[in-house]
Amino acid sequence: MAVEKLFKDEATEEKGERARMASFVGAMAIADLVKTTLGPKGMDKILQSTGRGHSVTVTNDGATILKSLHIDNPAAKVLIDISKVQDDEVGDGTTSVVVLAGELLREAEKLVGSKIHPMTIISGFRMAADRARKALLDRVMDNKDDAEKFRSDLMRIAMTTLSSKILSQDKEHFAKLAVDAVMRLKGSTNLEAIQIIKKAGGSLKDSFLDEGFILDKKIGLGQPKRIENANILVANTAMDTDKVKIYGARVRVDSMAKVAQIEGAEKEKMREKVQKIIGHGINCFVNRQLIYNFPEELFADAGILAIEHADFEGIERLALVTGGEIASTFDNPESVKLGHCKLIEEIMIGEDKLIHFSGVEMGQACTIVLRGASFHVLDEAERSLHDALCVLSQTVNDSRVLLGGGWPEMVMAKAVDELARKTPGKKSHAIEAFSRALIAIPTTIADNAGLDSAELVAQLRAEHHKEDSNAGIDVITGTVGDMSELGISEAFKVKQAVLLSATEAAEMILRVDEIITCAPRRREDRM
Amino acid sequence: MAPSMAAAQPLPSSKTESYVDNKRKDDIRTANIKAARSVADAVRTSLGPKGMDKMISTATGDVIITNDGATILNKMEVLQPAAKMLVELSKSQDVVAGDGTTTVVVIAGAFLKQCQTLLHSGIHPTVVSDSLNKVAVKAVEVVTAMAVPVELSDRVSLVKSASTSLNSKVVSQYSSLLAPLAVDSVLSVVDPAKPDLVDLKDVRIVKKLGGTVDDTELVKGLVFDKKVSHAAGGPARVENAKIAVIQFQISPPKTDIEQSIVVSDYTQMDRILKEERSYILSMIKKIKATGCNVLLIQKSILRDAVTDLSLHYLAKAKILVVKDVERDDIEFVTKTLNCLPIANIEHFRAEKLGYADVVEEVSVGDGKVVKITGIKDMGRTTTVLVRGSNQLVLDEAERSLHDALCVVRCLVNKKFLIAGGGAPEIELSRQLSAWSKVLHGMESFCVKSFAEALEVVPYTLAENAGLNPITIVTELRNRHAQGEINAGINVRKGQITNILEENVVQPLLVSTSAITLAAECVRMILKIDDIVTVR
Repeated sequence: MAVEKLFKDEATEEKGERARMASFVGAMAIADLVKTTLGPKGMDKILQSTGRGHSVTVTNDGATILKSLHIDNPAAKVLIDISKVQDDEVGDGTTSVVVLAGELLREAEKLVGSKIHPMTIISGFRMAADRARKALLDRVMDNKDDAEKFRSDLMRIAMTTLSSKILSQDKEHFAKLAVDAVMRLKGSTNLEAIQIIKKAGGSLKDSFLDEGFILDKKIGLGQPKRIENANILVANTAMDTDKVKIYGARVRVDSMAKVAQIEGAEKEKMREKVQKIIGHGINCFVNRQLIYNFPEELFADAGILAIEHADFEGIERLALVTGGEIASTFDNPESVKLGHCKLIEEIMIGEDKLIHFSGVEMGQACTIVLRGASFHVLDEAERSLHDALCVLSQTVNDSRVLLGGGWPEMVMAKAVDELARKTPGKKSHAIEAFSRALIAIPTTIADNAGLDSAELVAQLRAEHHKEDSNAGIDVITGTVGDMSELGISEAFKVKQAVLLSATEAAEMILRVDEIITCAPRRREDRM
Repeated sequence: MAPSMAAAQPLPSSKTESYVDNKRKDDIRTANIKAARSVADAVRTSLGPKGMDKMISTATGDVIITNDGATILNKMEVLQPAAKMLVELSKSQDVVAGDGTTTVVVIAGAFLKQCQTLLHSGIHPTVVSDSLNKVAVKAVEVVTAMAVPVELSDRVSLVKSASTSLNSKVVSQYSSLLAPLAVDSVLSVVDPAKPDLVDLKDVRIVKKLGGTVDDTELVKGLVFDKKVSHAAGGPARVENAKIAVIQFQISPPKTDIEQSIVVSDYTQMDRILKEERSYILSMIKKIKATGCNVLLIQKSILRDAVTDLSLHYLAKAKILVVKDVERDDIEFVTKTLNCLPIANIEHFRAEKLGYADVVEEVSVGDGKVVKITGIKDMGRTTTVLVRGSNQLVLDEAERSLHDALCVVRCLVNKKFLIAGGGAPEIELSRQLSAWSKVLHGMESFCVKSFAEALEVVPYTLAENAGLNPITIVTELRNRHAQGEINAGINVRKGQITNILEENVVQPLLVSTSAITLAAECVRMILKIDDIVTVR
């Protein structure tokens, strides 16, 4: 006898064909959603929040779009996850990875429809991915030894990444900014040392790179506005008044004079604290918490520049770049590590005054000040620049470079196609399907640009039939062009990550033959 | 999705550069453009010297009457995302140039209208967007070539441009008074060391109800919208003032730790009162000893800044007291007075005081203000005391003055003037359509339509002034074609004249930023193909 009820109430189970269909449909829907943002002429999306304030974000960044969606479909969640991982690992290609995974599943759906077992498809996909990776490795370029060429590679990669974003109009300017910033890091991938400050006003072209560190705060009243050879103490301590934090502590006195004495004593404690801080031999004091009027005046008297209310991120970064440590007790001056920098001064950006620390200890630190018409523009610019910085810092470590504009996909597709012809058995269908999925990427790029994709991709394939072709889609003129002449490059690491994670995700979804949805946990009724 | 795209497009197969997209995306784009255009239409009638005002009643029941595009849009509370972007656009223009907030929205609206037609005729949005960018770059070139350099010493030109900005406002009849005032106040805060930067925070506007806008004045010194605290009969006017800005309180001591005074018998009560008195007295003696005779006291939330008792003693010591100065204002005050704030009575020293000739309380309308004038070594700040017969006029006067100040600031930043009255726009339109003829393909077509779009500014100007827009615009076109690049609409006379001679001028920065910002915003709207609802 069949088991009547295996699961709890409201828990559902979908099996076999139906489960697979549900996964395919969900994953493809997600891929189609972000598909139109792919490529240099991709479109943007408005993300309208249903929460309070109905805030609006305009973006072209796949990871940002996917991150903010509500999704119920489990397979769709897998795709969102790979996009996130791509964002964390290499920073770019977040849309490509989802589109490729979606296309692989679309092909797989057809194969499953013609009664090919999912496991056969998976093994075909694996072989194809392996071959595709080898094909890329064969054509990869590495200019690590030639500094000049390497820099121009970096510029090209940055420009390619930026060309699909809002910064595309000023991509040369921003590519230079990003390359300069990453070159300063000297091989480390610690993007923390690159600070991005957004200031509304001006246009994107007015953005600039500044060596050193900029803090968006004010200098206390009556204190020096410019300090050379600064010794900086970064602290996180209460500087309003030191409260006696004993619960229920209470003083009973019998005269006004005694109250005044206590008040005096409190002041005295504060003064002592300030004296201790001054005793560190510093001339700049940065505190995360408020500095109230009284200590502020004491600092002013001692000629120390005091900055109050620096936000947490701000002081952590400041401590990092000046080589200091965040202190919260001041009894042992010798054990506290002070930060140093050559010059502190007040600068004006747009309408605001900011504090500029230059000649900091950690030489690689720098700040990029973004200017733009509105906050939408600035936020999007920051996201785009972040992508470029991620890709560049990865490329500095792994200097292998590929051409862009659909070139890598065509190279892979050609190699995979050849493999399909040599492979006997049903697997070859899957391998062929893999190559079709790869071609879908240049097709989408062409479609988004309003070009005749069928015509262009066919031309491209013909070009690639020749040995060592550099052909790719030139979106600007709408023709097939030589990518190395046009200067469109991509990082090998990004492409490899796109290929491998998309295949893995597709494989994972293909393996599914049952979806069990657990009954939602209920709040207990407290009636 | 690729095959379905092709199916949705019944056009012939040569679809290179033709627009293939599915229905939904088309709909979203059209909806966005429509929403944004309706915002632009709402403010269109307030453009120009004869533009109308809008009355806005806010959710809280306040009524605002204004002609300032940024203010209108700000209060409109739009929800549609694309419409919101136009509101943001107006705000950005306010930040960058301070004036032209209506113009920028009207231009964006006109661009959008053209985009709609272009998209309808099957051009891909990215092509439209790229051409718009080219138009913006070229337009800035053309406008810059038209500009006339101006020197900061040339006060007359500065006043002219400030009055052009004021002419479109409710307070236009006072422009002869407000324009020079705005120029003087900005020029007086320009630091000779950094001649290109002006911080408008150094110009303080104090509003006081009563009187008429005519009574607005520039005060070389400080004005507090507060009464002198003279409950106990203290002085209301002090000459040769020595001013201290203090951040502590003259009241009985209070500790941070919880405290209570235990009184056990009658004699002790007396003693406590006496102690309190002597405590305050000793403080005031210390203050008096430095020769200080005016005290500005920072507002404190923890305890009373002054008590009746301390006021009484201060009055006896002939010290004028202004209390409840906001902490944010302290920087401005100390900068103006060239003194340092004092946070503790122990640090009360003569060198921290500021000096002024007169500190007095003046009756203004139904209220009183404190004026400090003749400050010694005054910092680079100014105060403008704005007056108005009712709150609505007063607020509008402040907004208009702010615009005028921004105009002058723009001129300090970028020392070029350009003609007003629609002259630059019509010239742009002419030169751009000439330029479009040397371009190729779709681009040429798009540039031509955007060139036409720019005619919206003179068209609207004429329309708002009750003139026949078509006659005016065509005549204007004619005059410009004959080489009179400064011919513009003279709204007062209702005809076309050389607008530079009529003293209608505006800063170059206002025009250039209006075009670039409008183009940037429209391009952003064009690139959007979907609205996704998220958490």
